[in-house]
Amino acid sequence: MKIAFVVQRYGMEINGGAELHCRWIAEHMKKYYEVEVLTTKAYDYITWENYYLDDIEEINGVLVRRFPVARPRNPMRFGRIQQFVFHHEHKIDDELKWLEEEGPLAPALIKYIDQHRADYDYFIFFSYRYYHSYWGIQTVPEKSILVPTAEHDPVVYLRIFKELFSLPRAFIYNSEEEKNMIQRVANNSHILGKVVGVGIEIPSSWPTQQVLEQRGIASDYLVYIGRIDENKGCDKLFQYFLKFKERTNYPVKLVLVGSTKLTIPHHPDLIYLGFVSEEEKFAILQGALLLIMPSFYESLSMVTLEAWALEKPVLANAHCEVLQGQCQRSQGGLYYENYAEFEETLKLLLEDDKLREILSQNGRRYFESNYTWEVIEQKYNYIISKLEEEKENK
Amino acid sequence: MGEDKKQKFSAEEMEIKIDYENIDVEEIMNQIKRKIASRPAQEIEQQEEETRNDYRETIPPPLTSPPGGLRSKIRRILLKLMRPFAPLIKLMVLPVDEELRETVENLDYSNRRLDGLTERLHQELSRIDQILGRLESKIDLNHQLVNESFKDLGRAKEYTKLLHQLTHNLVVEMTKLKIEKDHLKIQSRILEKDLAFLNRREKEVEKKVFS
Repeated sequence: MKIAFVVQRYGMEINGGAELHCRWIAEHMKKYYEVEVLTTKAYDYITWENYYLDDIEEINGVLVRRFPVARPRNPMRFGRIQQFVFHHEHKIDDELKWLEEEGPLAPALIKYIDQHRADYDYFIFFSYRYYHSYWGIQTVPEKSILVPTAEHDPVVYLRIFKELFSLPRAFIYNSEEEKNMIQRVANNSHILGKVVGVGIEIPSSWPTQQVLEQRGIASDYLVYIGRIDENKGCDKLFQYFLKFKERTNYPVKLVLVGSTKLTIPHHPDLIYLGFVSEEEKFAILQGALLLIMPSFYESLSMVTLEAWALEKPVLANAHCEVLQGQCQRSQGGLYYENYAEFEETLKLLLEDDKLREILSQNGRRYFESNYTWEVIEQKYNYIISKLEEEKENK
Repeated sequence: MGEDKKQKFSAEEMEIKIDYENIDVEEIMNQIKRKIASRPAQEIEQQEEETRNDYRETIPPPLTSPPGGLRSKIRRILLKLMRPFAPLIKLMVLPVDEELRETVENLDYSNRRLDGLTERLHQELSRIDQILGRLESKIDLNHQLVNESFKDLGRAKEYTKLLHQLTHNLVVEMTKLKIEKDHLKIQSRILEKDLAFLNRREKEVEKKVFS
């Protein structure tokens, strides 16, 4: 059986989001099926400019076919169209125009899917909101499986996607909340769908003590790992944490890991480490008291799963339904909606060692029963075998 | 963890009861929410406000106890009459009363937040109204300026027409003058030739007269 994974960007350099999710899944599924990746030559997710030169290459044993982006995205024009589509009465054509600007505009990729539909048994599309998924699924709906990676933002309510969500043969969701949201929007509960998510790659070892010494982290700390961005709720996190320090004087620091798009306030208890290697990341996470996840929009927080894999409790933003749902299902973390709740939950977690320990153990159990690679692979195989059964019954 | 330095906040102090054998995150969060709801709304809003930079609002003060009067007198008399049965009533009523109190507190907290938000909404709307008013007056001013500019433009248009006419006339005059000049040139050449002829004739006549 031959399966194509279709995704907007693909490469070893891309270390997060749906693209990394897709790469990990493709690399794990290659032991069961003949796997290929169909993607664009883009690397920059803002402009989608062609970056990769080769049309075909092999990455970790997976054949990758790259197609050029016909026109890079103009962020200004995209912003204008998005503003109009999100906030004004508009027509379907406007939404299609938005989709074209959203990109990555790679008609050659869609043409290839159309011409080679017979060569593949299934096309697994990642990220519903991009050009490749919309037109790719329209081209081969009978062979499509969609991994929407949808967040609860205005895009999901665009009319073009309501129609799109009724086309694929199956859905692979990241969370129960995502599943409920898409079924609510598109009324498509009759289509096969399963909450799967993604497994986590954990290095065999990491030198925690050494890394902490090198980075000069001597005291207790909380950690945030990810893009330091307003969309991720980091500005609010800084305000809340500094207020917490001011009010409680608790001897704890906040370590920030990841690339930043925000100005981080100068404060001795805010330690910004920037981008770190995978091993360092796990070392820093291992040394932390808990992980803070302030993001408002997540379809699946991989770093939260990593924290649970390392037996660390999580304090999450309750405004993100997915994070709140994950904390409740795992019993592995608490969540906050406003500063008062932030203060209370953080104080409780910092002071109550026993609670922290139990939440950590619960998180680990949740990770083991839902997010180890064996479980993820089984779920993917289940979806494909179900579709094969349906095919035979027809 | 630096026991001496840090402030102590045990679960008991926070009045949050945790069943460690059977952790329920939702239940812990409900307790935290209830605890926060039991605080004066102003305190919570103030905390939230202090972490916000964009706008500042005041939340209505917490509800005070109702004023005394006939109802409170009747209540006191009833309470006196019921005193012998108080333990029994407490036993029967307390859990419900506790639930009721918490619910009322939650509702009260929500109401006050809603009131605060409504007030904020009204303030925002009045601010938008003011901005719209300012914009309208600016638009009027701009309209006047545009009208003035149109008048100036009309005048300039007429003036340009006159200039064009003048230029045309000048060109015609210049052409006429050029023709006149050419004509005079030709006449002067004829006169030169006549003069030369007269000179030659004069010389011939002189020769014949004096020879």
